[in-house]
Amino acid sequence: MTKLGIVYRLMYRALLLVAAVLTAIVSAPSVAHHSFAMFDFNNTVTFKAATVKEFRWTNPHVVLLVEGARQPGAPPELWSMELTSPGNLTRMGWSRHSFKPGDQIELQFNPLRDGKHGGAFKQAKLATGQVLTSSVRDYEKLEKPDIK
Amino acid sequence: MRPSMRECLIAIGFAAASAAAAGAAEEATINPPPKPADWTALAQLPDWSGVWTPSLSDQAQRMKLDQIPWTPAAAAQINKLVAAENAGNPKGLFVNCLPEAMPSWMLITHNAMEFLFTPGRVTILGESDGNRLRRIYTDGRSHPADPDPTFHGHSIGHWEGQTLVVDTVGILPETYIAPSEAVGLPNNGDMHVVEHIHLVGPDTLRDDLEITAPHVLAKTWKTALILYRQRARKFDIVEGVCMQGNFSEGVDASGNAVFQSAPQTEGGNFVPADK
Repeated sequence: MTKLGIVYRLMYRALLLVAAVLTAIVSAPSVAHHSFAMFDFNNTVTFKAATVKEFRWTNPHVVLLVEGARQPGAPPELWSMELTSPGNLTRMGWSRHSFKPGDQIELQFNPLRDGKHGGAFKQAKLATGQVLTSSVRDYEKLEKPDIK
Repeated sequence: MRPSMRECLIAIGFAAASAAAAGAAEEATINPPPKPADWTALAQLPDWSGVWTPSLSDQAQRMKLDQIPWTPAAAAQINKLVAAENAGNPKGLFVNCLPEAMPSWMLITHNAMEFLFTPGRVTILGESDGNRLRRIYTDGRSHPADPDPTFHGHSIGHWEGQTLVVDTVGILPETYIAPSEAVGLPNNGDMHVVEHIHLVGPDTLRDDLEITAPHVLAKTWKTALILYRQRARKFDIVEGVCMQGNFSEGVDASGNAVFQSAPQTEGGNFVPADK
């Protein structure tokens, strides 16, 4: 690992520690069933080369943690992507093994409007070329309802 | 004048007869075991088998079209919530993992549900909101005179042809009437929900809801839920634990697999604590 890589790794661990401490202090509300209005759906951000750090296959929202940079060559930062539930993703062909730590992906998402490092997952292209999307509404159109 | 023995016996007999008549008019106190005919009768009901997924495009349209008839005082509060959501600061009505409650449980879910018919009852099984369910008694009983308020209320139903008519009362006053996850108000008590659930196509189910809530609505709010039938097994309902997202999987000092608290923002998002 390069010297810079070690620095980033240490920074990442420090961030996780800060996060854990904050959680212990603040009684945080659940993600539960919330509005997606905090995401800017008029703005799509692309990380050309993101690295999967963690994939949490949990209800009510699946979470994907990645390290990525908006600009090629910029220092990668830790971002959190929010998705729909495991049930809905399973119906779209996902599984809890869809991502694993270390996977290199091209990621598109709609960022939080408040500038925090979170976003609504839009699409990921895996190294295999497979493209994963997660819009329940788009998927609904494929499922042949009686009423168009 | 003292009553004669004969008069006393007549009085006792009359009292006994009155008590028996009153008892017959009261609700049954047991749920009798179903007979084979009760199971056979279920075959005459419409086929609602399979897993049903809500039409999200229909939900989105109804948020605009089925305007809720708020009272002026309620509308003033709603306008502020709409403005906050439009500004990107949505209020989290359902972020504390308390049950979404009726009627929101039917109206805002993005997840699947299924219907079970058994003698004297229809049971709706959900996926999100902690796999909550609704018990709808179709055995002819009435609502309790003074039901304990609950999140889903007390539901009784009956079949009118191929339509299940459901009447629900006894819903907690704190539960929301909400057109979205960020806009809504507590019903404030005395809410009454009537539903007509029926197939409108081979694989499309429609629930017409009439919601009366005299403390926040100027008149009855009429809206609907559209569900699509799914037969593919990938739609089978899975576990949905509301609080699970508050935790990440970890290992304690003894090597045990444990849940650890995961950090979230006030708005309910999981974000790295780097900002």
